[in-house]
Parts: sequence; C-alpha cells; structure tokens
Amino acid sequence: MITIKNVTKEYAGKTAVKNLDLVVPDGKIFGFLGPNGAGKSTTIKMITGILPIDDGIITVNGYDIASQPIEAKKIFGYVPDSPDIFLRLKGIEYLNFIGDIFDIPKDTREEKIEDLTKSFGIYEALDDHIQTYSHGMRQKIVVSGVLLHDPDVWILDEPLSGLDPKSSYTLKEMMREHAAKGNTVFFSTHVLEVVEQLCDEVAIINKGKLQFRGNMKEMKEQFEADETLEKVFLELTSNE
Amino acid sequence: MNKTLRLIRTMLKMQYSLAGKSSGEKIGYVLLAIFLIPFSGIIISVLNAIVETLYDQLAPTGNENALLGLLFVGMTIVLLFVSLSSVLSSFYFAEDIEGFIPYPFHPYQLLAGKAAAPFINLYVTSGVLMVPILTLYGIHSGAGFTYYIFALLLFLVFPVIPFTMMAILLMFFMRFANIAKNKDRTKVFAGLLTFVFIIGFNVIIRLNQNPEQTAEGAAQLIEQQNGLLNVITGMIPTAYFSTMALQNAKGLNGLFFLMLMLAISAGAIFLFLTAGQKFYFKGVLGLTAGSTKKFDSGKVAKKIKSQPVFLALLLKELRIIFRTPTFFMQIVVQSLFGPVFLIVILVFESSSGSIGALGSMLEQFDGKAPLLLLFIFTLFILGVNPASYSSISRDGRSWPANLYLPVSAKTVIFSKVMTAWLINLLSIILLAVVGLTVVPMPPALFTAWIALTFLASWFTSLVGTALDLNDPKLNWTDEQEVFKSRFISLIALLIEMGTFGCIVLLLWNIDSLQSLWMTSLLLALLLGLAIVISHIVLQKLIRTKFLKTR
Repeated sequence: MITIKNVTKEYAGKTAVKNLDLVVPDGKIFGFLGPNGAGKSTTIKMITGILPIDDGIITVNGYDIASQPIEAKKIFGYVPDSPDIFLRLKGIEYLNFIGDIFDIPKDTREEKIEDLTKSFGIYEALDDHIQTYSHGMRQKIVVSGVLLHDPDVWILDEPLSGLDPKSSYTLKEMMREHAAKGNTVFFSTHVLEVVEQLCDEVAIINKGKLQFRGNMKEMKEQFEADETLEKVFLELTSNE
Repeated sequence: MNKTLRLIRTMLKMQYSLAGKSSGEKIGYVLLAIFLIPFSGIIISVLNAIVETLYDQLAPTGNENALLGLLFVGMTIVLLFVSLSSVLSSFYFAEDIEGFIPYPFHPYQLLAGKAAAPFINLYVTSGVLMVPILTLYGIHSGAGFTYYIFALLLFLVFPVIPFTMMAILLMFFMRFANIAKNKDRTKVFAGLLTFVFIIGFNVIIRLNQNPEQTAEGAAQLIEQQNGLLNVITGMIPTAYFSTMALQNAKGLNGLFFLMLMLAISAGAIFLFLTAGQKFYFKGVLGLTAGSTKKFDSGKVAKKIKSQPVFLALLLKELRIIFRTPTFFMQIVVQSLFGPVFLIVILVFESSSGSIGALGSMLEQFDGKAPLLLLFIFTLFILGVNPASYSSISRDGRSWPANLYLPVSAKTVIFSKVMTAWLINLLSIILLAVVGLTVVPMPPALFTAWIALTFLASWFTSLVGTALDLNDPKLNWTDEQEVFKSRFISLIALLIEMGTFGCIVLLLWNIDSLQSLWMTSLLLALLLGLAIVISHIVLQKLIRTKFLKTR
C-alpha cells in the first residue's frame, strides 16, 4: 500500500504538486493519469525517493520514504520513464547488479533471469551491452530487473511505452497476477485503452491537483454513463 | 555558409553553455578567474626571464630568431598532440553527432561544427605560451607595430595546420576502424594508440639525440646567422615560415612569408573539408553501436554470481570507466600519462648514465629531502586523476538509480571513492616499478614513500569525490561535458597542493627535523588528519547533498 498524505512539491517557485492525498490500496491495479506536465512523474519520483518532498508524508507499506528510505526501497520495484540507464553494462551484468543489491540468492537469480528474459524475448541479447538494445529491449531489461527481486509494490512510470504487443500483453498479465496475489501495482500512463482494460482504480491529476479518484464504475457514474473515457479525461483536464 | 555558421554556433552552445548553472556557480567562475591573475603573473615573469636570457645569448651571433623557431616547433608538437585527443573525442567519441546526422547537412558542414570546440581548445593551449612569448620577444627585440600585427595573424592561423593534418590522418584511420565489430573497443584501442604514438614520438626524438654531438654541432651552427633556426625548424617548414615572417616583419620579405602561411593554412582547411566530405561519414556512421553476440542457453548460469553490494557497485563503476571510450581516455589513459612519460624519460636518461647517478645521489642525501620531493611530486600525479572528480557526474542520467535502489548513500559514495583509489593504484604501481628498477631507490626511502602514497591517494580520492558531490554535472548529453569547461580539477589540485605544498615547505625548513623516519611519520600523521577532515566533510555533503542531487 502506498499512502500519500498532503504532499506538496515546488520547483523554482512553481507548484508541481499541491496538497496531494492519495491511497493506493493492495490487491488492485491503480492507474495514474494526467496530461503532460500534470505532476505524475513528480509524484512518482517523490514516492521512489528520487525527489525530496517539500511538505507531507509518503509511506510504502508503512515505511516512510523520507525517514526510512532503505526499508521502503527494499519493498518496491520501480520502472523509470526512461530506460536509458547503465548503458555500458551488459544485460546480464545489470541483472546481476540488481541481484546483488537486493540480496537474491544465486539459484533463484538463475531461474528467474532465465524465465523472465525468455518470456520477454531478450534472453539471447543478455551478453550484449544495453547500449546496443532498442528502446523496447531496454524497457524489458529494466522491467526484468524489477521483477527479479519480486517486490511487493510495483511502481511503473509509463511501463508499456515502447513494448511490442506480445511483451505488452505479458507485462499486463504479470500486473494482473501480482495484484491478484494482494500486492500493489501503481502505474502512470497516457494510453486510455490500457486504463480501461487493466485498471481497478484510477486517479487523475492535473496541474498538480487531484481531479478524480475512484474505480471505473464510479467514474462513469459521475459523468454521463455513455461517455467514453477519452471524453471524461478531456473534460476533467481541460478546466481552467 | 549561413547554415554552417549557425551549426557551429549551436554546437558550441551545447558544449560551453552556462545555461542551467546557478548564479552562484557563475560567480564562482569569475572569482576563479580573478584568483588566476596572480598565477599568470608568476608564469609571465618566469617566461620573461627565459626569453631575456636566451635573447641576450643568441643575439650577438644573429641567432636570436632561433628562439622564435623553437617556440613554433614546440607549439607544433604540442598542438599536434592536443589535436589528436580532441579530434578523436569531438569527431568520434562524442555521440551528439547522431542527433545532427538526420538533418540535411553536408559532412563538411558537420565537420566544421565539430571542429569548433577542439579549435577553441587549441587557441587556449597556444595562447598560454604563444601570446606571452611572442609579446616578450617583441619587447626585447624592440619590434615595431607590424611585428605585433603579424604575430596576431600568425597566432590565429598557426593551429590550423597541425589540426588539419592530424584530423585528416585520423579520419582516414577511423574510416577503417569503423569496419570493426566491437566499436566501443575499437574506439578505446584508437585512444590507446594515440597514447602509444605520443610516447613513441618522444622516444624517437630522444633516440636521435646524442648529447655530445648536439653540443658540438650547436657551437658550429651558432657561428653562422640563421644557422640554428634552419636546424631547429628543418622538419617543420611552417615553423620556419612563421619565424621568417616575424623576423622580417618590417620588410616585404616578411609579408611574403606571412602570405605564404595564410595561403598554406587556407589550402589546409580546403583539404580538410574535402577529405571530411569524403571520409567523415564513413568513419562515424554506426560508430555508436557496441558488439552483439548470441547468448546460448545454459550460458546464463556461468555468468551469474553473487557478491557483496559494495563490490557490485565498485565493479559497475570500473566497468563503466573502462568501457566508455571517453571515460577510458580521460581517466585511465590520462592518469597513466604522467607516470609513463616519466618512465620513458628516465629509461632513456639512464642509458646515458645520469640516472645511476641520481640513485646514488638519493643515497647521499639525508632522508628528508628526497622523500619530501617525491611526496609532493606523487601528490601532484595523484591529484590530477579525473576518476575522483568525475565520481558523481559520470553517472549522468543513471544517477536516479542511486536514489531509488535500496543502497545507503554512504555505500554508493564510498564505492566511488574506492574506484578513484583503485585507478590511482595503476599510477602508483608504475611509479613503484620505476622506483625499484630504473632508479635504484634506497629500500627505506621506497617503503616510506609507497606507504605515504597509499594515504595520499585516499586523500585525493576523497577530495575529488567531495568536490564533485558538491557540484556535479549530471545533465550531460555527451560524456565529454563531464570534463570540459569545469574548473573542478583545478580546485581539487589547489586544495591538495595548497595544503601539502605549505606543509612540505615547512618541513623542509625545519632544521632540527632531518631523519627519514621522523619526516615520514609526521607526513603520515598530517595525511591522516587531512583524511579525517575530508571524511567529515564528505559525510556532511552526503547528508546535505546526496538526496538533492539530480
């Protein structure tokens, strides 16, 4: 469970996120929506400890990211919006590195690396430098790294962008399974079809403020029932 | 032409822009510039003394122009070396070229843009020596107005020829290197080749020198006017033309040589752009891809091993340094440059017998003097190692991983300090080999020196890392930016050499302190103190800066 309490973040005098309150419950796939520059990535970066929080508290499974960072970070796995990291490492070296950081025993590591990378179709490229990977392959190696340490909480920033249909399907299935086991899956996206297919709950943020939070049914009820999600989204984010 | 200029301006802006720098940083640069004024004063007065002495010695035989010849020959060699590394890094290692290739530019236009930054490098390099020496020569020879005009024009065109020669050579070479499978490794190899080339060049020059003959020959040459100049500039005609242009700045003769220089330079630029149009794309396209090989089933088990977090971080750092051509060149090759150069010089000197004498000289001296000299020399070599002051900046866009992975800030930072220390170890081993074999150093002195070197290396690694953590450059698009237009190396050196320079000077002048062991002990204690202080500062920076760094 991720709890965001009254969180505010300012950048050079501009408020990126204002008094945000949000609870991401266990056992559900939670979609985080908003137009470009709405504060989605800022929020996710605060949850993961990349950005310091100006005001408020964020906890992951009860651990405060500001005061107990290591404990909190052991619980979640994070897929950043850009997978262009550690480009000079080979795929296998990156996964080994993640394995060392999260203390994954050797045999578990072996089994999981083989399983994950084969299901994403990047097994054969493991001995190549990440530099030589395509955008989609980079995304897959980072997702594999997250799944390798099997965290309770998944935090994914635009995880499906750049993935081919098969890998996208595989990841969505994995997200469903993970949530079904009672874990947390929190992800941001622009793709509304994905939200409709996948999400149990959504939050919509615009200009740093929460516009809506609830399940898909509530969302449709709040607006006219026959409206498409696209229309709802445009209506919610077009104000001011 | 307009588009080419526009391209040059854009490329330069990306390299040297102050955008995104805080006003505090900008003030810092200004303060540093003010701080450098007294230093340049010292350099100029030293140069003045040299020029004055040489001029007065050479003028009676009409050989004073040899001084100019020497300057131009020396500058040609220096500029060739600087061009080699800066052309390689700007034309081939810098990956920002990919962003420009899809636009409708001719290769020669891109090349002109890419040449701008190395050219600024060359002007700064030649400016340091050429401007003061040419001015001082003008003053001492009582030259007229035209001399200074000629000097200015020559200063502007002089780097053109070494640069274009080196660039054409490299373009030709890289055109073939690009066929290689593993491009990254090829680039590193090309970098190493550069290094070997520079050392080899030095060796050849030294082999050709026979001290006795040189002395005799010089005596003969001095008897005839311009004799010395002809010999000095024999291999490098442009140095001869430049000298003659300045020497005869008042007459038509000088104008002729100046025009000749201008014409040759224009021709060189034309040749460079033509060669670029033909070869550049063939060498650069597809250069950023690394190697690919198939990973067979079952192989994965062999590649998986678990190790402690600290070691995992350390290995990651080392892999990135050794695999990224720019980092490899700037960090590993550059830090080895000093020691290897020293070895070459010492080995060749020792063949002439003077090093054996140095060894016995070291034994004659009482313990403290050679130790202090060795210590300050080693500190300098360790202090200029960029592994430490690029610790944080190297991560670039991978930096946030340090923030979201469950590793303590301390572990991350100290794995970086350790990396810098290990890279320093390469230099130390080389120096130790020299100390043991080439110069037969007394065992006691050697032991004390090596022990102090290990401590000093930890100290410089701490200082560099702390400085980089204090003000890292993470938003780079190209690895070059980690090292370029940052004064951090200078600040690191000022801190390290400043403190220990004073300490060594103090110990040198304490007459009651003579024994090797007492001096070593004192130095070790002071280094220990410096290390403790740096640790405290670094820990404080980790607390205040680590989370805010992005």
